[in-house]
Amino acid sequence: MEEEGEEARALLAGGPDEARSGAPAASQVLSALCDPSRLAHRLLVLMLMCFLGFGSYFCYDNPAALQTQIQRDMQVNTTKFMLLYAWYSWPNVVLCFLGGFLIDRVFGIRWGTIIFICFVCIGQVIFALGGIFNAFWLMELGRFVFGIGGESLAVAQNTYAVSWFKGKELNLVFGLQLSMARIGSTVNMNLMGWLYSKIEASLGSAGPTTLGATLLIGGITCILSLICALALAYLDQRAEKILHKEQGKTGEVIKLTDIKDFSLPLWLIFIICVGYYVVVFPFIGLGKIFFIEKFGFSSQAASAINSVVYIISAPMSPVFGLLVDKTGKNIIWVLCAVTTTLVSHMMLAFTMWNPWIAMCLLGLSYSLLACALWPMVAFLVPEHQLGTAYGFMQSIQNLGLAIISIIAGMILDTRGYLFLEVFFIACVSVALLSVVLLYLVNHAQGGSLNYSTRQREEMMVSHTE
Amino acid sequence: MCSCGESRRGWGPYAPSPVLFLSLFVSAAPFGLLGEETRQVSLEVPGWPDHPQNLLHIRAVGPNSTLHYVWSSLGPPAVVLVATNTPHSVLSINWTRLLSPEPDGGLAVLPKDSIQFSSALVFTRPATLSATFWGHPARDPAGTFANGSLAFRVQAFDRAGRAAQPPRLLHTADTCQLELVLAGASPRGNRSLFGIEVATLGQGPGCPVIQERHSIDDEYAPAVFQLDQLLWGSPPSGFVQWRPVVFSQEQADRDSALSCQASPLHPTLAHSLPPTLAHSLPQSPVVQAFFGPQQNYCTFSLTFGASTGPGYWDQHYLSWSVLLGLGPPPVDALSPLILGIMAVALGAPGLLLLGVGVALLLHRTHPSEYRSIT
Repeated sequence: MEEEGEEARALLAGGPDEARSGAPAASQVLSALCDPSRLAHRLLVLMLMCFLGFGSYFCYDNPAALQTQIQRDMQVNTTKFMLLYAWYSWPNVVLCFLGGFLIDRVFGIRWGTIIFICFVCIGQVIFALGGIFNAFWLMELGRFVFGIGGESLAVAQNTYAVSWFKGKELNLVFGLQLSMARIGSTVNMNLMGWLYSKIEASLGSAGPTTLGATLLIGGITCILSLICALALAYLDQRAEKILHKEQGKTGEVIKLTDIKDFSLPLWLIFIICVGYYVVVFPFIGLGKIFFIEKFGFSSQAASAINSVVYIISAPMSPVFGLLVDKTGKNIIWVLCAVTTTLVSHMMLAFTMWNPWIAMCLLGLSYSLLACALWPMVAFLVPEHQLGTAYGFMQSIQNLGLAIISIIAGMILDTRGYLFLEVFFIACVSVALLSVVLLYLVNHAQGGSLNYSTRQREEMMVSHTE
Repeated sequence: MCSCGESRRGWGPYAPSPVLFLSLFVSAAPFGLLGEETRQVSLEVPGWPDHPQNLLHIRAVGPNSTLHYVWSSLGPPAVVLVATNTPHSVLSINWTRLLSPEPDGGLAVLPKDSIQFSSALVFTRPATLSATFWGHPARDPAGTFANGSLAFRVQAFDRAGRAAQPPRLLHTADTCQLELVLAGASPRGNRSLFGIEVATLGQGPGCPVIQERHSIDDEYAPAVFQLDQLLWGSPPSGFVQWRPVVFSQEQADRDSALSCQASPLHPTLAHSLPPTLAHSLPQSPVVQAFFGPQQNYCTFSLTFGASTGPGYWDQHYLSWSVLLGLGPPPVDALSPLILGIMAVALGAPGLLLLGVGVALLLHRTHPSEYRSIT
């Protein structure tokens, strides 16, 4: 108990010391759970925070899990199908800049989270209604509304995490949140196809109504997230009263004029970000039928292999995070990740080797890249511009995803999967070129992007002297 | 899905109104042997007053060989392929024998000793396959084809190329393409599946096997990674090649692509004792005329579509293409566009990495920079 109290003090500065003794065990546990400064309570809050994002990530990849059914029941080609992903990304081109502002100045973290989750729920319901009423435009509208809430929710989740866990555990909490999100995606891939067939069996026929019913049931996860948001808001408010803790803020300042100050290495990082993520998410969106047609997998097996990237990234993200933290040399890790993705796509395109190998490689490189690429922005940009830089990076990432999703659908309809894979290989190649250029520019400018951890510590020490 | 054997309805004499469409490709200079560049192709419709358009003779002449394709709709649609080793071989038709009940010898390619390879393909029975009519025997008086038609489009080629219509089969001067179009026929059930039975001459004791070739390339037939082929002889002296896809709209694209499943070949006797409907094959006079009385055929059937999803019922239209020819079948290769993109995509970063590596090696010889004094 002493250690718990000390831990609580160390991690949540200013928390009152709780040294209880003599009280019975059950009520001790209960009081630990109810006390915002105690670890047990914060674990409860951590659990709620993790489930906050579950519904959003679960429903994001519903189209990929149900591609055959959507294309058949709504009678759309691949180009129109990919619009379901494009519409998710369009609002986030702008909202990435506004997320911090909305949370800090307009809604506050608690109401902000609840509002964003309401957008997610309503969006998913409209998406499902599009199926029930057999109106594809309604599905697109649903994805648009869903998108408004989805990405901003991630900002809210991170803000909650910083507010409750600032200190050494923050990276672990971010990692756990991301893992939960990936688990949500994986469950979606493996569950929705089966759920559709069950509903088809009970309703007696396939069709838009069956699709809509399946999506509505999938939307229950969003309701779960909403309950978590309400609980979290209540607990946060209670903690504020008990601990006199301030409401969490993102602290982001967005000044669009800062964009002109971005250096060449930063722009190269943006290109790497776009060039890389457009070969992961749209590929997963279209992957299920690829595995069925080319490799002869069954529908269930194809869904499983499509989810491998997410399954692997759940445990490996914290591991790679630790690795990059310990060794530094971010550019080399990014180079490894991009090259591995290139190899993976070449295997999928030009060989008939078991695609599990290629997808595992893709999952590993995807996790590695996330851990090595995003921190580089913090090395390049002063703190007061960090919000703008990250906002811009996410904005163009969404822009790239929206555009490439549509292009991928068009290529698939006219030219087939081999050409699509070659197109993706070309995109990775652009990212690879940018990494090499980044190394060159960094080396020429004597920059610190590729420092090892020890060099970076020495640099920090010499700066503070 | 029903199994093709039992629920197939037979069709005794062939179609009330088959229509043969002809395509003509005539070219320039000839070139080379069997398997070489171009041929001079000509089509003729040998006539006979009562049966004006039931025979089509395609003659593809090269400098050292001639290919003859004789398409006929006398009886079931059939094609006889003959390859000779001289550019001067001709087809001789004895119409009285051909149109008689015993057509043996009514068709010949002269001179006989120049024939290198010959085979035949007969499309014995277009049929309605329907799960709801499982197991019903009987003839077919339902007039399925009263308002519809089954068309055989034949195209001969003078040089290598690729068809413009999906599935865009690769053809050479030694091949001929057949497109089967079923339009307007009224199906008997809600979700009837159509199919076709194809017979070929049995050569040797067993029947050849349909080879399914899987490839990485689906450029020309999006999402179809398989090519089916039937080879005659080994090394193949003739082949039938198709992609297992059939299109349910005239605008043939990925939306209208349906699967096409082939059953394995099984030997069939032309007439079995006691004669049963399931086993008696409609005889093609042309095949009998050329090859003499033949008893051994190998048949397989193709099923178009599946019971769920898009199908014939959308627009009452189905089209299937097949390539047949002599010599080894053509092999698809990656298009130059893909090879070009890959070359640039791998070459540019590769060269840059190489350059960086070399530059770094050279830089190592330079003295290290001075550390600034803080």
